[in-house]
Amino acid sequence: MSSPIALLPDAQLRPLLDAYEASVRSRRWHTLLILACVAVAMVLSSISAEVSIPKLLDNIHRFPSYIIRLFQLENGRPVWTDVAEWFWGLPRWLRLLGETLLMAYVGTVLGVIGAFVLSFLAAANVAPSRWLRWTVRRFCEICRTVPELVFALVFVIAFGLGPVAGVLAVAIHTVGALGKLFAEVVENIDMKPVEGIIAGGSSWPVAMRFGALPQTMSNFVSYALLRFEINVRSTAVMGFVGAGGIGQDLIEAIRKFYYSDVSAILVLIIITVSVIDTLTSHVRHRLIGLQEKH
Amino acid sequence: MLRLEGVTKSFGGKRAVDQVSLVVPTGQLVGVIGRSGAGKSTLLRMINRLGDPTQGRILFGDTDITQLKGRALRQWRARCAMIFQQFNLAGRLDVLNNVMMGRAFHVPTSRALLKLWSDDEKAQALSALESLDMARLAGQRADTLSGGQQQRVAIARALVQEPDIILADEPIASLDPRNTKVVMDALLHINKHFGITVVCNLHSLDLARSYCDRLVGMAAGRVVFDDVPAALTDAVARDLYGLEAGEVVGEAPPVLMPVGARPGFALAGS
Amino acid sequence: MPGHFPVDLDAVRGRHSEHFQRFGRRRQTALAIAAAAFALLIFAIGELGFFDGKLLAGLGRLAEITGLMLPPDPKDWAHVRLFSSALLETIAISLLGTLAAAALALPLAFLAARNVTAQRVVRFFSRRSLDTIRSVDILVWALIWVNVVGLGPFAGALAIMTADIGTFGKLFSEAIEAADRKPVEGIVSAGGGKFLGVRFGIIPEVFPVLVSQVLYFFESNTRSASIIGIVGAGGIGLYLAEAIRTLELQQTSFIILMILVSVALIDYVSGQLRFAVIGRRGVVS
Ligand SMILES: Nc1ncnc2c1ncn2[C@@H]1O[C@H](COP(=O)(O)OP(=O)(O)OP(=O)(O)O)[C@@H](O)[C@H]1O
Ligand SMILES: [Mg+2]
Repeated sequence: MSSPIALLPDAQLRPLLDAYEASVRSRRWHTLLILACVAVAMVLSSISAEVSIPKLLDNIHRFPSYIIRLFQLENGRPVWTDVAEWFWGLPRWLRLLGETLLMAYVGTVLGVIGAFVLSFLAAANVAPSRWLRWTVRRFCEICRTVPELVFALVFVIAFGLGPVAGVLAVAIHTVGALGKLFAEVVENIDMKPVEGIIAGGSSWPVAMRFGALPQTMSNFVSYALLRFEINVRSTAVMGFVGAGGIGQDLIEAIRKFYYSDVSAILVLIIITVSVIDTLTSHVRHRLIGLQEKH
Repeated sequence: MLRLEGVTKSFGGKRAVDQVSLVVPTGQLVGVIGRSGAGKSTLLRMINRLGDPTQGRILFGDTDITQLKGRALRQWRARCAMIFQQFNLAGRLDVLNNVMMGRAFHVPTSRALLKLWSDDEKAQALSALESLDMARLAGQRADTLSGGQQQRVAIARALVQEPDIILADEPIASLDPRNTKVVMDALLHINKHFGITVVCNLHSLDLARSYCDRLVGMAAGRVVFDDVPAALTDAVARDLYGLEAGEVVGEAPPVLMPVGARPGFALAGS
Repeated sequence: MPGHFPVDLDAVRGRHSEHFQRFGRRRQTALAIAAAAFALLIFAIGELGFFDGKLLAGLGRLAEITGLMLPPDPKDWAHVRLFSSALLETIAISLLGTLAAAALALPLAFLAARNVTAQRVVRFFSRRSLDTIRSVDILVWALIWVNVVGLGPFAGALAIMTADIGTFGKLFSEAIEAADRKPVEGIVSAGGGKFLGVRFGIIPEVFPVLVSQVLYFFESNTRSASIIGIVGAGGIGLYLAEAIRTLELQQTSFIILMILVSVALIDYVSGQLRFAVIGRRGVVS
């Protein structure tokens, strides 16, 4: 069978080929320029971050050996040969893990309440006043940008060592993060019900309660659940600065090279986080399903 | 020669294609018609092996297509070009690279991954594009083209495969009247001049009648009509599409007769 | 208004019983959940020591501390220079960690994506390991890397990289799974193999999405990088923790202000770049 393509004569092909090469060339320059920028940024960063590949290569074997060491008992045997010895501190760790979960829970709830109120003040479509909206937005931004641990450090000075500082730090960060997301949810609602209620002579809170709230509830809950999972992860390290939870035992174990304790605590945290991840995403999917049905 | 023997495809319990047996001689332009859901796309996809039949055999010459695996399967796909309703181009790649995908089987993978096409390959692709009046746009991104232009790129991709057979799954369903004519004329040209077998799913009976050598009508997965276009009377067509006796085939535009197929509208797009 | 519109309530209830009941039951469940949540909250607050009497005193002290933080003041130029270079180091850590994580996460993401990897086992294990990496906090990774490469920003960059491999792996694989399968089908139908399908059918399409996610995380990683100094992994965190511990409160607020400004700046720049890459309407999710 003959080829279905009649090859063009060279005279006709040349200009087409040249035109194509020209268009490719300009794109290629563009790509190279971007790559060059990234490369320069990386080199500068490497200098600043004291990256040294030789040092990494010299030490990289210590990473796997450290990980392997984590899974060895004092006597050098693998941890699973004596699970009771591995998890010797289980009662205490479980208590601290429980405390961590409670901290995450309270921090999330307080944060959700704060974000809930602020979101209606910060949403462009329903906010009662402009300057209030601006202030609330900046406030959320600060709460969100300053890392939780920094709040925790400050709160530990004010409230003393212990979970109260950690809870408040998590709560404040949650207000900032959820305040923004909630406000976006409120901005996306259908305004007709709200206008209808306001037109009926009701006050702003009433209009929010019956006009806006029903439309936002399932999204709020979904975001709150997502945040709870994130907060469990971050309360687990609050103890690093003395703000309660299992983190204090974890950092002590790491610092003092109690290898098998480190892995035991990490295993507990990972299991907890995965269970919560599974549960919350299950509930969230059901919520989304519910929302689509209506 | 393409031969289908009792080809069946079930999705769950449902038979999308049911005991289809056909013989398509080399060089024929076959139109496959039938209402939506009749199993036309499923049939074509099985011939290209984008889907595997649940039962039955597909033979090309002496080769059993349904048994092919690995490299031999890819070789068959290279010989059996496919054109899609939605064009199936890589939108963010430029036109020439999209056409080059038609050489995918012949170019060593390592070279293809780096887009290192040889001058001969580029010349081939550009010539194929030029035959469809598209070579000027070789450097443009595919998703910036109009539907008709994209389909012409897809045809160029099929051409550089140097295929033995072209399968076209409603190639004109998302095109305007003018592009419909361009695309159908291109397929006709490929078929008549190079003797390449073309199997083409169509929704427009008028186009099917005027372009095809033979029409295969499907309903509920089965072949219910197989003859020359002249044998497709209005009564048969009504039957095929499950219309009431009073309805005239020509008056059911969305299924039977796109605007472009009506006389007098043919040049509306130009 | 009885009389105007006579309603035979029992008859209505009889005819639409499911309506009356379901509504009631849903409402009851909601109330029960709310009550349980509230009870748990009260219990937790008690358990965590909120009622120990420290709260009020603490709030007073917090107000005092906040007052002492104002106005932000670095003390002298030497400190400004010190903090600035530490801040640059923080940004460098974040940039390196983010880019390295993206590079390493990409192959993993393909292994974890349903439309690329057919083997369930491979997919399961790559997903699980990504989840495991994700559930360990960045500070823990920082401590581990400090043990491997010693104190300093290098350990910080490695920590950000490790923690982000999990996140990027998950996000990337979701983006890959969301990719249109038509281009891949087009390439496969022409005789192209798996690699070609991925290289030309998927990568060009998802690349802008991935770039946008990386840019987005560059900003949030700068925030994380500003605290890993607390465990000795470089950046401004060290000075921040130091300033808080030694109650140099005006310096503390100055450092926080510097972080806020630089994060806002990076947010702005990365936002502009993201728009340039994916267009105004594309939002990272
Ligand atoms: N991947 C799939 N999974 C389940 N069912 C499928 C699948 N693909 C096709 N089907 C079913 O098989 C039947 C035939 O579909 P097919 O796409 O082949 O019809 P068609 O004749 O091409 O219709 P149209 O003209 O609308 O394109 C339909 O009922 C469809 O629902
Ligand atoms: Mg179809």
